[in-house]
Amino acid sequence: MSSITEYRSGGMGWRWAGRIFLVFLLGFTIMPMAWMLITSLKTGFAAMQYPPQWWPTEPTLDNYWRLLDPSGSVGQDFLRYFWNSMWVSVVTTLLAVAVAVPAAYAFSRFRFPGRTFLFFAVLLRNMFPAVVFLVPLFILMRVLGLVNTHGSLILTYLTFGLPLAIWLLKGFYDNIPIQLEQAARIDGATRFQAFFLIVMPLSTPGIIATSIYSFIGAWNEYIYAYTFLTRHDQMTLPVGIQRFFSENATDWPGLMAATFLMSIPVVVLFLVLQRYFVRALTEGAVKH
Amino acid sequence: MSTGQAIFRDVPDPPAPKRPSLGSRIVKSRTDYLYVAPAILVMLVVIAYPIYYTIELSFFNTPASLALSQKQFNGLDNYVTILTSSIFWKVTWQTIIWTVLSTAIAFLLGLGAALALNREFAGRALLRGLLLIPWVVSAVAASYVWKWLYHSDFGAIGALMVQLGVTDQPINFLDNTSTSLYSLIVVNVWKEFSFAMIMLMAGLQTVPDTLLRAAQVDGASPWQRFWHVTWPHLSSVSTVTILLLVVQNFNSFIIPFIMTGGGPVGSTQIWITHIYELAFLRQRWGVGAAYAVLLFIIMMTLGYFYVRALTRGDDQRAGA
Repeated sequence: MSSITEYRSGGMGWRWAGRIFLVFLLGFTIMPMAWMLITSLKTGFAAMQYPPQWWPTEPTLDNYWRLLDPSGSVGQDFLRYFWNSMWVSVVTTLLAVAVAVPAAYAFSRFRFPGRTFLFFAVLLRNMFPAVVFLVPLFILMRVLGLVNTHGSLILTYLTFGLPLAIWLLKGFYDNIPIQLEQAARIDGATRFQAFFLIVMPLSTPGIIATSIYSFIGAWNEYIYAYTFLTRHDQMTLPVGIQRFFSENATDWPGLMAATFLMSIPVVVLFLVLQRYFVRALTEGAVKH
Repeated sequence: MSTGQAIFRDVPDPPAPKRPSLGSRIVKSRTDYLYVAPAILVMLVVIAYPIYYTIELSFFNTPASLALSQKQFNGLDNYVTILTSSIFWKVTWQTIIWTVLSTAIAFLLGLGAALALNREFAGRALLRGLLLIPWVVSAVAASYVWKWLYHSDFGAIGALMVQLGVTDQPINFLDNTSTSLYSLIVVNVWKEFSFAMIMLMAGLQTVPDTLLRAAQVDGASPWQRFWHVTWPHLSSVSTVTILLLVVQNFNSFIIPFIMTGGGPVGSTQIWITHIYELAFLRQRWGVGAAYAVLLFIIMMTLGYFYVRALTRGDDQRAGA
């Protein structure tokens, strides 16, 4: 008796080929991260050896304590960058959702003139690289008086995140039957009541997914943060750790510990809410 | 967009026999615009203005201080400078290698992973999550980790290759003009193959099991089942995935910028890092802007195909 899903995967030979391939791919994916973690547990001396210590002979958490110690100068800077990143990412996320929800709803439900044009204009925004917008946006921020403030980053990230946020949310609204709202309207609800009481609760997974996406995008952004912020105490993590460790000879274990700590929030957020994220991302490309 | 969808209005009215004029339709749906107004406003300020500004700058010679009052019109000079410079073709060729190889390898690895994961087994969700981590972590973190892995003296990859007997001495991956670009492509593939995987996994769910079963009953081999049943169902999501990867790779910046800074001897310089260098390190604003305009044109062309691929999917759904 063959397995129920065998028609999907082919025979035993193909299944084994698939398994071997996955093991190889997992190794390729995991190895760099494992090496980051192993290096972060070494002393500077232990890291600079050839051949390398594949496992540290004297593992130490010193690099982490140094980064997380608010009384040391290293820890002070690192925690400040961490806080800056958190602040910018959270505000960006809240604003992106607030602006994207009505826009996505309108793109999904209404047929106003120019709708298609505006929608694709929004989408096409995704096709331009950040570098191209650097100079004009820098000048714009100068005009608005936002240079060297987190406001410049939030405004920029907002426009970067919006097209995708709108696109993701529209996919969710498209899948909520219009009849539900119509029924609520017939029962006497206003359009806003129908939206807040019927549509919003149903689109919660979409809002969660959009929020994770905005947050990760803002947390990881580098180019604008690198260009717009020159003051040390304003920097976000991706820029901060770089400035900090390349001033002298590179402290690789410290740098690896910093990249590890920097990756924790997004990886945890992602792993916990993975199903929303994955569903939203593919919703636009594939309809079930 | 699709024409087959139901139209929802405040008052569900029957389809009007005569299409009202544009003006009256705009007035009629004026409240609809309120919903999109905040999004459009933000976009206009932060997108339309920069595009206009870049196009203008590309026709001027602007002093290094970026004092806009002193800029001088110089026609197409900036464009001529670009197209006649020898580095333009070198950088363009490297950009093509970078984009094509990254896209092709990431797509094939993603396709393989999606097919291998397209079966229920214990730990499948965990495996998918682990494979997706590179895509979630920041490119900055990835660049530093790989820079350390490739380190010429203490790098893990070089040491591992010596211990396994592949080479006699650690290879100097990043400081060698013949290996640097390919070493960066490996990092880029590591970072983005799981994006292709997740898109194609979703695409695989649209392949009807009944068709695959019927093909098996008819004696089709696994390869035939893939080629004649699965693959045709993946074509539209594949188009979108490949286009998104091409756009993303063409616009790559962080990995080459942090890992090699475009070097050694410009061997990892691609369009975006080159534009950055021209504008911000050499203050050649006009030439940088002209590059950006050329890039706009390329991206709009790709964007046209992207929109077409998306709307084709829409029409198919509407017709289905």
